[in-house]
Amino acid sequence: MNFDFTDDQEQLRDAVRKWVDKAYTFEHRRSVEKSGGFSKEIYAELAGLGLTGLYISEEDGGLGMGPVEGMVVMEELGRGIVLEPFAQTLIASGLLSGYAPSAIKADWLPKIAAGEALVVLAYQERAARYNLNVCTAKAIKTNAAGDKYALTAIKSIVPVGDMADAFLVPAMLDGKMAVFLVERAATGVTTRGYGTQNGGRAAELTLANAPAELVTLDGLTALEHAVDIGIAATCAEAVGAMDKTVAITAEYMNTRKQFGVVISSFQALRHRMADVKMQLELARSMSYYASLKLNAPVAERRAAMARAKYQLGNSMRFVGQQAVQLHGGIGVTDEYIISHYFKHLTQLEIAFGDTMHQLGEVANRMQDTAGVFA
Amino acid sequence: MDLAFTPEEQQFREDIRSWVTSNLPKEISYKVHNDLNLTRDDMQGWAKILGKKGWLGHAWPKEFGGPGWNAIQKHVFEEECARAGAPRVIPFGPVMVAPVIMAFGNEKQQKQHLPGIASGEVWWSQGYSEPGSGSDLASVKCKAEKVGDKYIVNGQKTWTTLGQYGEWIFCLVRTSNEGKPQTGISFLLVDMKSKGVTVRPIVLLDGDAEVNEVWFDNVEVPVENLIGEENKGWTYAKHLLSHERTNIADVNRAKRELERLKRIAKAEGVWNDARFRDEIAKLEVDVVALEMMVMRVLSAEKSGKNSLDVAGLLKIRGSEIQQRYSELMMLAAGPYALPLVREAMEAGWQGDHVGAAHCAPLASTYFNMRKTTIYGGSNEVQRNIVSQTVLG
Repeated sequence: MNFDFTDDQEQLRDAVRKWVDKAYTFEHRRSVEKSGGFSKEIYAELAGLGLTGLYISEEDGGLGMGPVEGMVVMEELGRGIVLEPFAQTLIASGLLSGYAPSAIKADWLPKIAAGEALVVLAYQERAARYNLNVCTAKAIKTNAAGDKYALTAIKSIVPVGDMADAFLVPAMLDGKMAVFLVERAATGVTTRGYGTQNGGRAAELTLANAPAELVTLDGLTALEHAVDIGIAATCAEAVGAMDKTVAITAEYMNTRKQFGVVISSFQALRHRMADVKMQLELARSMSYYASLKLNAPVAERRAAMARAKYQLGNSMRFVGQQAVQLHGGIGVTDEYIISHYFKHLTQLEIAFGDTMHQLGEVANRMQDTAGVFA
Repeated sequence: MDLAFTPEEQQFREDIRSWVTSNLPKEISYKVHNDLNLTRDDMQGWAKILGKKGWLGHAWPKEFGGPGWNAIQKHVFEEECARAGAPRVIPFGPVMVAPVIMAFGNEKQQKQHLPGIASGEVWWSQGYSEPGSGSDLASVKCKAEKVGDKYIVNGQKTWTTLGQYGEWIFCLVRTSNEGKPQTGISFLLVDMKSKGVTVRPIVLLDGDAEVNEVWFDNVEVPVENLIGEENKGWTYAKHLLSHERTNIADVNRAKRELERLKRIAKAEGVWNDARFRDEIAKLEVDVVALEMMVMRVLSAEKSGKNSLDVAGLLKIRGSEIQQRYSELMMLAAGPYALPLVREAMEAGWQGDHVGAAHCAPLASTYFNMRKTTIYGGSNEVQRNIVSQTVLG
């Protein structure tokens, strides 16, 4: 049992942090938001750092790294509330590496690793909320050999859906969920893009008999795994965002004066900050837990992600809300950075299942035993 | 990073587990698992069993007879003891005063006191709080005046846990009124059989006399019982507090008690009540998060690579969790938590229980656990300390 980062992991952290500090200033982020919430150039820079190949094996052109490295990168991107959906790259890499036939892997993994293709998960349906087994999308076989498929579906809030190159889409095939890959440029694919509350970008995706490649017939298993990669990534991203939120708030409290003294001298505010620090450290602990359980057997992994996301969700909401409150009026302006952290954290709480949903998951999965190893 | 224990750590755990299984008396673990009253002999009996094996001072360095375990091994040992239903080691001797005697006591003091602490023969008490000195500990007034080769001690200590059994007490006493309050405090060891020491139990809200007032009326204490230098006691006391760390979070007991809560919830028919079950689920996550935080501290301590300044957080969170599980156990029993039948909290009582036997101690324990957010530096004081780490 140990929680030390290796020297390589520390170097990776440093590299990403330096990039965020330099390339992703608040002004820079604003310009991304203004131009639609996604920047291909920025995404290419992440690829330039080698990050897009993080979960892809070396033979497929990636770095072949694991959940702890993923966590380190996500923490640092979260620190800069980077809008480019890097978690989606981890999800696509993990899903394709783990479940796709070798032809699809050979087609897509090197392109994802090189940053030439952005592949995102398109799973949200209106009727499903957070239930992964609710899926109305339909797949049919379109040739006699039975190896060509077409999908008809409406998927919602697909990250950068109108700018991604391909989608991983769960759909029902002969009454059972499967996962398919659909290229955005294919016939029958339409997208309607829009901005999201954090300044990022998403789209409604409509598939009308769109040609698709089968990734796996074991669709629910793959989707759950994909979402769990997303949960671990989101937890880490939130830790980075909260870390920075706390630092910004502390600095503000040590500068802002009222009644002739800095507001950090008031005990009511100091105790609030202690509560914020508590939530941050609980969150960090559970983010570690999530990443370290990402390769555990399915039942153990699913239970761990629910526990982690429940804690992280609570922490995100509390830290975000209190950061705004501790700033006072300036905290509710668009001009000042803290509201952007708050909105980003709010979006992360809802991503892959909000806190109430996760509580239900934890409650349903409880065993007689208790603790980290239960 | 690795969540799993190494094969060596796993082997260590198995060794500890099998030793505890064969050495912890069943009648004691039965009481602990069912939260029934423990006698002095139960507590000291287990201490002596540990002492004989050399594990009562399980965190002691080798040079003082400890097993020389690292942070993770110590944790595994504590975890296995808690899991098996061992009573908590009364910390005042082996955990609190012994490290101070090792670090600041002279050889004579070490020879005089450490063997009795290590064996569990001598029961120590803590003389810190006073009626006027709770959170503001540095304001202690209990006075020690040096007259020849003796200190004459006058004053009062309070909240002395299990002081009714105490044979020795380590005290913070005032030896000077010059300068800041902290600079006039000394660390003194007092034989509680000395003339002029009076112990009066304080009955707490649960009806138990767990704590005491201790009065000192012209008590003569040999000067050789002073630890270190006069007026440096505050420094030594702080050293003592630094030995608390993960211990106070008591996550191992929390895990055991959460399992007990689940059993009680099932027996009382609230396990399938979504509202109740959600509360248990929240606690389940709280306990995992606390355990992860504890393990982060242990790992940092073992590797020495990074230090984690989260002792205050551990105290706050650990105590809140202790209160919450006791609260939920009581609420699970509902109306059956209300009868106050003291005999039903004794092992082996043959009378008719109201409801189930497990209901009898639940409310008393809930009331008793209100202490956890007050003692050891109240949680509000802890928040002051935590806020310093963020805001300076």
